[in-house]
Amino acid sequence: MVQSLLLFDMTFWLYLAAFALYVGYILARRPGRELAPAGHPTSGMGESDDGWSAQIGQVATIVTAFGLVVNSVALLARAYERMQISGTFAPWSNQYEAMAYVSWAIILGYLVLEFRYRIKSVGAFVVGIGFIAMGAASLLPYRYQTAEPLVPALNSYWIYIHVSVTLTSYAAFAMAGGLGVMYLLKERAERLGRRSSFFAALPDLETIDELGYKAIMVGFPLLAFGVILGAMWANYAWGGYWSWDPKETWSLIVFLIYGAYVHARMTRGWEGRRAAIYAIFGFLMVIFCFWGVNFLLSGLHAYA
Amino acid sequence: MDGKSPVVVESQASQRAAPGLGWSEIKAELAGFFASIKLAMFLFIILALTATIGTVIQQGDRPEVYIEEYGEETYRWFLRLGFTDVYHTWWFSSLLTLLCINSLTCFYKRFPAIWRSMRQDKVGVALPFIQGMKHTAEIPVAGSKEGVAEGIVQLLAEKGYRVLAKNDRQGVNLYATKGILGRVGAHMAHLSATIIVLGGFIGSYWGFQEFGVCLEGETYHIPKGQFDLRVDKFWIDYYENGAVQSYNSTLTVIDEGRPVTTKTITVNDPLVYKGVWFYQSSYGDAWDQVEMARLSVMDKETDAVLETVDLEWQKEADLRKLGLKLTVTDFVADFGFNSIEKRVYSKTVEHANPAIRLALTERQSLQATPWIFYHYPGLFDIAGSKYRFELVGYKPRKFTGLQITKDPGVKMVWTGSTMIVVGITLSSFIYHRRLWAKVIPSNAGVIVHLGGTTHKSEIDFQKEFRKMTERIRTINA
Repeated sequence: MVQSLLLFDMTFWLYLAAFALYVGYILARRPGRELAPAGHPTSGMGESDDGWSAQIGQVATIVTAFGLVVNSVALLARAYERMQISGTFAPWSNQYEAMAYVSWAIILGYLVLEFRYRIKSVGAFVVGIGFIAMGAASLLPYRYQTAEPLVPALNSYWIYIHVSVTLTSYAAFAMAGGLGVMYLLKERAERLGRRSSFFAALPDLETIDELGYKAIMVGFPLLAFGVILGAMWANYAWGGYWSWDPKETWSLIVFLIYGAYVHARMTRGWEGRRAAIYAIFGFLMVIFCFWGVNFLLSGLHAYA
Repeated sequence: MDGKSPVVVESQASQRAAPGLGWSEIKAELAGFFASIKLAMFLFIILALTATIGTVIQQGDRPEVYIEEYGEETYRWFLRLGFTDVYHTWWFSSLLTLLCINSLTCFYKRFPAIWRSMRQDKVGVALPFIQGMKHTAEIPVAGSKEGVAEGIVQLLAEKGYRVLAKNDRQGVNLYATKGILGRVGAHMAHLSATIIVLGGFIGSYWGFQEFGVCLEGETYHIPKGQFDLRVDKFWIDYYENGAVQSYNSTLTVIDEGRPVTTKTITVNDPLVYKGVWFYQSSYGDAWDQVEMARLSVMDKETDAVLETVDLEWQKEADLRKLGLKLTVTDFVADFGFNSIEKRVYSKTVEHANPAIRLALTERQSLQATPWIFYHYPGLFDIAGSKYRFELVGYKPRKFTGLQITKDPGVKMVWTGSTMIVVGITLSSFIYHRRLWAKVIPSNAGVIVHLGGTTHKSEIDFQKEFRKMTERIRTINA
């Protein structure tokens, strides 16, 4: 137990360091071009860095990747500890582990994004959420952090797939939320005509908007799949695929909220600022579904 | 007959021409409304909001609970609006039905066009159409128009596009498309909504859900299943630290007097017979039976314990030394007395005030049936007896809580679920892209006019489009 808790702690500090480095990277970065007007993507997708910023950026990526490795090892260690005490290994069997897993998924998603689109400045926002998630987990009381044996209802192979899929969708929505915040900051700076290098260092608005949309398009099918898997599990464990338990209902609410978003994107005027605000709102609802329901509402999912 | 039909057609045509009056206008207007994305968004948000009510206000509780928490007037409003059972109100069902109508109308209105464009699409387009597209490029290439067109076709085919070509007076027209499956997926998801909701309605009309408290060794009739169920065994497994790991019941189905199938069920692993599912739902201590009761027999005068015996349920024990015969005949977990019917009953299922009833025979002459209370020893004196009895402890009989469910709609729900997951995944990751190209001869070779649109995922498409432009520029033909 001690080993995994130590590793989770280490993960937290690494993500914090990575977050600080990404902020430093943006501050050190001199924009290669003049600020592009809204809605007009600059010709190059990637960022051109020089001197200091490039080095900070590289260190940030390395620290993040190292954090991800430590996070993975921590989850594996926890899986091993679980195996020892109860014969099941899912390292997402309580609130604390679930948070650690969500952080892992967020950071993994971010690194994929960084390597694919060569945009580092997103890190300040997305790695930031990963570090907050890890931090919030460590604020949980100790008894929530340790690996207790599973109650009978959870003791099933469904926990491996239902929980991990659902949590991965949360991670995707977290990324979309982070990108939404980024969009609003940059959009505000542009609207007010500020020419600070910080905002200019961020990718252009259309790219941020599109990436946010993409994150939701990853999260949305995953959430649908996660909810359906939950229904299938419930059909085996609770005697019915749907019982309007608060967690179930809130997952449906989140699904409906993003369903509205996905449809809204098809209509004019629902990209950019509005979409960013909506993505942040959606993420807040996800947080409620993930945390609020467990602590404020009682129900069948009240295991944590 | 034949002579008259043109007249009929004409009159229909003139009716159709009347603005805003004919059936077809109303139909188009209605279809437009019901298929609209605005209605979909409205329904999503309204459903999300109303679903929230049921998570804030407790559902299906007793009236007292609501009155205590919200007051009587508010509770009356809750009843009027159905807030104590939101998900089964007429208005919530109506919203779901409306969502189904919405998605079905959308399918009806938009899918045929997608179906058509899967089979054929417009190849030859005008130049301004290409130039006016979001992604557009003019690429001068050295070579003949046939050669360059050939090169572009090859390039697009390599990228997985389906390419159509057509010659006209100006040059070669090309049309390429990829990823229409994404749009098919979206409509698959639209259809799935109705299938899931229908499955749900079927389940709630023709299905049932019951809860059975069953004791080991007993046989129960399942009226809705037309067969019997015997509980052979019930037991609990523990972890090393004492926490419950699982609880299990061995059940045997008896159909027409013969045992048909036996299965040990546990949480997460039910028994299914003739569409009826038996779930291990809970367990607990029975409130009207014990397995064994431990009784101390004491001398009334000296208060000394003469003997302590373990009495099995409804089995006579003979204490020769004391000249006593004892039987535990009844048990209640929470003693209550109905003074009108003169009947003892258990007020709750909790073991709050347990008591046993003893049938005793002392020295062949004295007979009595006293109640012995676990928490209040010596409450009642047995007149004429030498002894006093104390209930020291008891081993409650465990009951197994079985949930008995039948849901004929569940297969439909799974069909819809598969469709919604596959549909949403397809529509999220595959995006419909279309490219048009015109290869027009110029002074130094040809000019390729390339234009493209995408259903979504603009950045990826922008990247792809730029790369494609570069590769067309370097075609050697």
